[in-house]
Amino acid sequence: MIYRYFCIVVTVLLLSSCVEKSIIDDINIQSAVAIDLADDDKLKGMILVQNYLPDQAVENIRFTSTGKIRRDLLLNIQKKSSQQIVVGGLMVSIFGDKISKKGISEAIDAYQRDPGIGSRNYLATSSGSALKILEGEYGPRGNGTYLRNLLEHNIQYRDVPETNLHIFLRDYNSEWKDAFLPELRSINNEEVEISGISLFKRDKEIDVLPKDKMFYFKLLVDRHSNGNFLVELGENKTAMVKSIKSKRKIKMSRKNHSQMILNIHINGVVTEYTGKKMSKEIADVVEKELAKKVNAESLKLIKQFQEKGVDPIGFGLVYRSKHRGAIKKIKNWGENDYKNLSFKINTKVDISESGVIE
Amino acid sequence: MPGQSIPDHLKISPFLVLYMVMSMQIGIGVLGYQRLIVLTAGNDAWISVLITGGCIHIIIWMIYKIAETVNGDLVSAHVYIAGNFVGKLLSSFFIIYYFIYSLTVQRSYLEVIQVWMFPTMNIFWFTLAYMLLCIYIIYGGVRTVIGIAFFGIVLPAYLFPVFGFSLQLAEFNHLLPIWNNSLKDILIGSYKMSLTFIGFEVVLFFYPFIKEPQKSKKWAHLAILLTTFLYTSIMIITITYFSRDLLSRSVWATLTMWKIVNFPFVERFEYIGIATWSLVILPNVCMSIWISSRLLKRIFNLQQKKGVIIMAAATLIAINFLPTRAEVSLLNDITGQIGFVFNFIYIPLLLVVVMIVKKVKKR
Repeated sequence: MIYRYFCIVVTVLLLSSCVEKSIIDDINIQSAVAIDLADDDKLKGMILVQNYLPDQAVENIRFTSTGKIRRDLLLNIQKKSSQQIVVGGLMVSIFGDKISKKGISEAIDAYQRDPGIGSRNYLATSSGSALKILEGEYGPRGNGTYLRNLLEHNIQYRDVPETNLHIFLRDYNSEWKDAFLPELRSINNEEVEISGISLFKRDKEIDVLPKDKMFYFKLLVDRHSNGNFLVELGENKTAMVKSIKSKRKIKMSRKNHSQMILNIHINGVVTEYTGKKMSKEIADVVEKELAKKVNAESLKLIKQFQEKGVDPIGFGLVYRSKHRGAIKKIKNWGENDYKNLSFKINTKVDISESGVIE
Repeated sequence: MPGQSIPDHLKISPFLVLYMVMSMQIGIGVLGYQRLIVLTAGNDAWISVLITGGCIHIIIWMIYKIAETVNGDLVSAHVYIAGNFVGKLLSSFFIIYYFIYSLTVQRSYLEVIQVWMFPTMNIFWFTLAYMLLCIYIIYGGVRTVIGIAFFGIVLPAYLFPVFGFSLQLAEFNHLLPIWNNSLKDILIGSYKMSLTFIGFEVVLFFYPFIKEPQKSKKWAHLAILLTTFLYTSIMIITITYFSRDLLSRSVWATLTMWKIVNFPFVERFEYIGIATWSLVILPNVCMSIWISSRLLKRIFNLQQKKGVIIMAAATLIAINFLPTRAEVSLLNDITGQIGFVFNFIYIPLLLVVVMIVKKVKKR
């Protein structure tokens, strides 16, 4: 019995004050970061800290500084902050256009190394200065939360393909696939929008996909996706199709090893139709039109990627998975094999419902 | 055999061998074994895991064969083949082995805490508290130690379904093509798997304490089967979740995978995982200290209560001499190599010798 009490007391005493404390009221939790290049090739960064006011509103506190590497930047910012800044609550990181064109490998190192940064963070690029985006005031819940929610619901229900820190790092650290990030643009001080998709080759942004291509891009990149699409049937008749469940599969042709076959299956409903009556025949026409359009647009996108030598869709992975010993044999997949690939896209569209009216 | 009559009320039920073997096997290695295997065996790393798991079934059969023949533990086996003095001399090496084993487990766990949670965590004070807990558990006797092994498996079991979160982002093309790597690379991967798999040899030390050891055989094999299944499935999930280059840089791949887990009430799951892991390594440390103190008793007739304190104190002192990652990984390598030699080379040899001696003695 004495041993028991002794052990319990000693354990409690020893374990109670082993490590440093982090009291939630006494630390600054950074919620968003913007990193860009300053004129003298240094990093310029802004850290956004959310300050929770007593009336439940959130105040955006901004710290700006420059530094040689990301840590240095953070160190300089710490010198401006009255409380310790911690990374645990980071939600969104934005890279400015200058740094993403030059290469973000140095800035990304901390995201791989620091265990405190969660994998579900969002990374994004910006069109224009990254700091400008954080300078705005968006909504009552703070900029960090606002930007996170903006990306989150667009990924879940709209046209932004699935992305987060882990997916970016996975593709970035892969020879067989290239990474992409959503691009943000500040419209004015109170509005910000997702303006496209930045395509990366290794760590450099080399192209930006415009907004209206995002639906097709998502169809190609995500295994399962949903999004909205407008079909024009001529004579002022347009139908809005909402894809509920889409699947895509990439296969390599068995006969011809330099041909990729993409099977896209879209399950959708018509949410809006400006013609007179939505009949079965018109639904068939919509299905056909949409399939045609998806085929053409996707092929155009893929050709464009091929020309630029980027592979955000992951054809490399499919290619490798069918070539035994590919890692050793294929030396320059991006330059040779990828450029010689041909593509065949089969799209099937099923329109199951057309709303509550006929 | 001398000193081998264990009263029945101190023995454990045969089915507890399942928990004993599993909880000794599952230790600190699970948090980051994937990287080492993938570095050599590439996307076929899961085959390496299966091969190692298969081999262990044979080894565990050998262990039971040895223990049955001499009707006792490893010390009895050594005495049986080499006489009292040489046999005990041979056995005394295993005091050091299990000392290093418990040291490795504890120091690696502390490293995880230092890197992931508290960089300023004091090694000495944490180890002191942990050692006191271990001494307390071992003072409860064999049944308590095995009881902790039971909880070391059952309580953290909820961590396994959490890997489902990683499956949402799985890219199954990473697994293909199967047999992409040469058989040699896959076998080297199997060899590197040994640190993660070792621990099943405890049967050789706990054998005299098992009630109806015949019946415990199937539980030992089931334990190996379950561990192999666990390691293989985690390996497959890891390969699909990471791209190869990212995985080759992730030291604790399992912990990194937990970073994606997100519950409405828990922002970051890996901290819960790390905290729970202290329960997973508790039976590791307890059993290895129990074994080394038991060996002290069998070889030097030292009272086990004193032996436990000596081993705990030695751990407490030695752990301070391993301050950085370099030493910890060196220690891990050494333990893995010793473990490999012991399990996969020494035990088969021992079986052969025991069989020869048995034939000779019959004549």
